[in-house]
Amino acid sequence: MEANIKKICRIKCFQWSLVLRIVMIISLILAIWKKDWVWVSGTFIGLFISFLPSILKKDIKITLPWVLDFLIAFVTSLHVGGRLLNFYGIIPGYQLATRFFISMLVAFIGFSLIYILDEYWEGLKMDKYAMAFVVVIATMSTGVILEFIKLLNIPGAFYYVTGSEYIKNYSLMLNLLADTIAGIIVAMIGVNLIKSGEFDDITENFGKQIDSVIIHRKKQEK
Amino acid sequence: MKKGLEKNMVNKKYYKVGLYSSYFLDILMIILLILSIWQRNIVWIFGCSLALFVSLIPSIIKRNYEITLPLALDLLITVALLLHVGGGLLNIYHTLPFYDAITHFVSSFLVAFLAFVVIYILHVYWEGLIMDNYAMAFVVVLLTISMGVIWEFNEWITDIFVYGGLHEQWGYNDTIKDLFIDMIAGIVMAVIGVNMIKKGSFDQMTREFGMQIDKKIISKTRKKKKD
Repeated sequence: MEANIKKICRIKCFQWSLVLRIVMIISLILAIWKKDWVWVSGTFIGLFISFLPSILKKDIKITLPWVLDFLIAFVTSLHVGGRLLNFYGIIPGYQLATRFFISMLVAFIGFSLIYILDEYWEGLKMDKYAMAFVVVIATMSTGVILEFIKLLNIPGAFYYVTGSEYIKNYSLMLNLLADTIAGIIVAMIGVNLIKSGEFDDITENFGKQIDSVIIHRKKQEK
Repeated sequence: MKKGLEKNMVNKKYYKVGLYSSYFLDILMIILLILSIWQRNIVWIFGCSLALFVSLIPSIIKRNYEITLPLALDLLITVALLLHVGGGLLNIYHTLPFYDAITHFVSSFLVAFLAFVVIYILHVYWEGLIMDNYAMAFVVVLLTISMGVIWEFNEWITDIFVYGGLHEQWGYNDTIKDLFIDMIAGIVMAVIGVNMIKKGSFDQMTREFGMQIDKKIISKTRKKKKD
């Protein structure tokens, strides 16, 4: 029964991520129609990232965990929608919500990588709570790096940082808070998934493939 | 054999220099306290007294709990406090350019150093953590940046609930600058730490402290788990 529910969930999520990709293709067509070339490249990059799991699967035999696949498609759609349809400016809190999901994606990638390295690399052995702690600090730090990129303020290439010093600072701190909360949530979910053994199920294929493609090859080279 | 003896003598010499520097910094702190009393500056009388107490904490821990902090850590704590107190009392923050950046760097470096020491000791004595040198360095950088973020949260919340505007945080550019300094301090410590581990000097520096932590905390937790 439980296995059946899981199977149905996976199929639903796959269908959902497929819908999200279709939305992104529509966004790309819309951007071309508007002759907004900066957004065309933005949408194209978003689309490329969301198809990355399938590309990786074909080329170097890596299957990303389905949760990761889904999150990449969801986050890029949110971001592209915000940029292209100006949801960032129209809908209050849209930017913060997108940032939160981006951080959740970062945290999930972080957790998966640490878990896989812990399982397959002798250079890292970590208690699950230490793992959760590293995930939180990694998510917070990635948020800071993202803020440094924003500071570059390249017109059209990333967000503009506008407003008074107070507003800009307030927005910065809210973003960092969103990163921290996202990191903590994923860390808590991750620890519970490890305890129940489900995290192993999610990352098993990916881990084995990473091990055979990267870690094992490096070991042989040494 | 001869080489070992020479190395030991050099280490003892460094230890003595460090110890005298620590005493010298404590004396400077006392001078600042006297100066604040002479100026009748209530805020900095409190600030200096608190800083003096904090700089004495390593000695208190050593006496009461028989845990000896590495001398470099003891020195860094005192330098960071001295820079902050001296800057506030003598108004150096507003007169000397980049003083704020230097003070922030030293504080972040202290955090990074402490993080490296703790992670290294856990790696050596606790079976729950085994880390490659470079992974350790990476985590130290992450930890320093995130501690910087927590510090900024603290300032932000204080500004919202106490001041109702920008006060502790000077603005967006200043916050970003502080976070950038945190990152640089973390990277500098990570590079130094990895080199020290490779040379064996990090192990030498933290051995006594590590053994004490293992005896007082880690092995006790292990026993409790077994029971």
